[in-house]
Amino acid sequence: MKYLQSALTILFPVAIVLVIGAAVLLAAGYNPLTVYSDLMTEAFGGQRRIAASLSAATPLIFTGLAAAVAFRVGVFTVGAEGSLYVGALMAAWLGFTLTGLNGWLLAPLCLLAGAAAGMVWMLPPGLMKARLGIDEIVTTLMLNFIAIGLTTWLVNGPLLAPGAANSSTPQVAEAARLTRLMPPSTLTTGFLIALALLVTYAVWQRRRIGGYETLVGGLAPRFARAAGIDMPGLMLRMLLVSGAIAGLGGAIQVLGPIGRFVAGFSTGYGFTGIAVAILARGNPLGILIGAVLFGGLSTAGATIQLFSDVPIEIVNILQGLIMIFAVADFGLRGWFARRTARQTAAEGGQP
Amino acid sequence: MSCKTTFVASTALALLLAIPALAEDRPAALIISQSGLGDQSYNDLAYAGFERATGETGIEGRTVESKEVVAQADEILRRASDAGFGLILDLEFAHGEPIAAVAKDYPDINYVILNQEVPGDNIASVVFREQEGSYLAGVLAAQMTTLAGVEGINEQPVLGVIGGTKSAGIDKFIAGFIEGAKSVDPAVDVKVAYSNSFADPAIGMQMANAMFDEGADIVYHIAGGTGIGVIEAAKERGHFAIGVDTDQDGLAPGHVLTSMIKRGDVAVERIVKDYAADAFPRGQTISLGLAEDGVGLSEMEHTRDIIPAEVLARVDAARAGILDGSIKVWDVLSQGTPDYMK
Repeated sequence: MKYLQSALTILFPVAIVLVIGAAVLLAAGYNPLTVYSDLMTEAFGGQRRIAASLSAATPLIFTGLAAAVAFRVGVFTVGAEGSLYVGALMAAWLGFTLTGLNGWLLAPLCLLAGAAAGMVWMLPPGLMKARLGIDEIVTTLMLNFIAIGLTTWLVNGPLLAPGAANSSTPQVAEAARLTRLMPPSTLTTGFLIALALLVTYAVWQRRRIGGYETLVGGLAPRFARAAGIDMPGLMLRMLLVSGAIAGLGGAIQVLGPIGRFVAGFSTGYGFTGIAVAILARGNPLGILIGAVLFGGLSTAGATIQLFSDVPIEIVNILQGLIMIFAVADFGLRGWFARRTARQTAAEGGQP
Repeated sequence: MSCKTTFVASTALALLLAIPALAEDRPAALIISQSGLGDQSYNDLAYAGFERATGETGIEGRTVESKEVVAQADEILRRASDAGFGLILDLEFAHGEPIAAVAKDYPDINYVILNQEVPGDNIASVVFREQEGSYLAGVLAAQMTTLAGVEGINEQPVLGVIGGTKSAGIDKFIAGFIEGAKSVDPAVDVKVAYSNSFADPAIGMQMANAMFDEGADIVYHIAGGTGIGVIEAAKERGHFAIGVDTDQDGLAPGHVLTSMIKRGDVAVERIVKDYAADAFPRGQTISLGLAEDGVGLSEMEHTRDIIPAEVLARVDAARAGILDGSIKVWDVLSQGTPDYMK
């Protein structure tokens, strides 16, 4: 029942979007069934396309998880984007500077440094929230602009690749690149790291004390405080963890598919991650499904243009619609709760 | 009738000589760069050339646009390569290494990359000699900046140039502009600044205003969307801007002195046609300058009446000098940063 419920909360908005999207497609003169089946083929039709979709999903797993861990304790951070940027630039900088190191050392070092940079980036808003009660939505949002501005400035000046016409760093050393799982696809070990993090999160939220504390803290902060949980400290810790996860995601994007830091490389992974986390209601499996959904839509949206006249805007509309409906609750939870209550009542009133 | 005869004759000839297929007929794909279609500049221009060429040659053409074009470089290139395309043109600058790697795996597919040289047997690189067009802009601006009796022009020999970023790709415009200006008047002062953004008109406006405050009356921008602010500032202050990439003269009629046009459309059109005629320039670097009509000044539709004939004559003379080789314009890409810019 529980699995059915979480599956339904994810699939219901998607179904609504498909219906509305069909109307949009019809209005624009396309056959929705053809477009949808083309999108499916481009996203999941065959090994290579699946690999491409999973590769595109990878950064979204990180940002989705980064959002979910903070939301769980009631911290509504929108700062994953900023952490992702600083983590990515940090990894790129080490990756093209420490070219003497071998792969076993360089790649993990770059990843750790990326995570650390993302974590440090969340320290100011974390402290402001924990110590002064300053609203984290504002601080993390503002820090995003600073992160993007700062990294763009750095790759336009001190870290600019010689001879480059656009704002990007030199390529990272070959040793720093993540191993490709199914060459030539850009699916790398970064995806496995993402999965490992998801599993860790799943175990932690159910089995560890921290998982319980954050759950209680998020649902009923005043009760949590009364029960002796250090709420400010907990919020700070979760925000730092969130920053570290996002920073790691940025580092993986640089060491994986791109191979260098390019200004504007993120198309708002941090913000899509928020949609993923909300769509999944913090459920780890849901985050995976949500990320693969958005990742698949993104790859399919690009390559479908090779075979049909569907403009990228249509795909962007579908993506936007899913984000909007992801947030709506549709009263499904209430419906499930009533139904369960009725059933228990029918079965003799024993809860 | 004659058409039919030619057809029959050529078919007979082909059969006689047992030539398999004379022309390439696999479809062509155009990968749009990160800034996307609708940028009224680089992408739109290249797309226009692509449309023209595919329309005329009958080659089927597809464009691929994605916000994630940087991260999905390999996947998009490989998908197009697997899908039976014979020509893949890539406008994204960050695709240099990916295209080199992918091209190796598909030896019978032709790849094109713009604005950089990528080695490879089946890759053609297209570069522009933007310094030549910029030189002409410099020759024009340096003459105009002290011209008495023109509204918006002061007596000080001061010009400005705003680059989007400090990089070789942008400095090659700037060096050409400065050289052209100095060739007219060695005492002319060219103020150089970088906006560190290609998409911030507000910054462009501020920087242009600062230059106008310092006595500049003509400011050349090589800063994409940021340059729209430069043009806006010129209009507000009653001075002049010089546009770039496309013909931007109409953005503020009378206040854009000229535009240094970079004909990405010509480049793309030519390559698609070569490909269709089975004459793809495999492994070559195509350099487009004034001689190839790859760069040049706009028609100056809105400013022609305030520019004296002798000024235009001198611009034409400079153009002729570059064409016959008597004027060599500094190329930052191959020669490095000139001393006057350090």
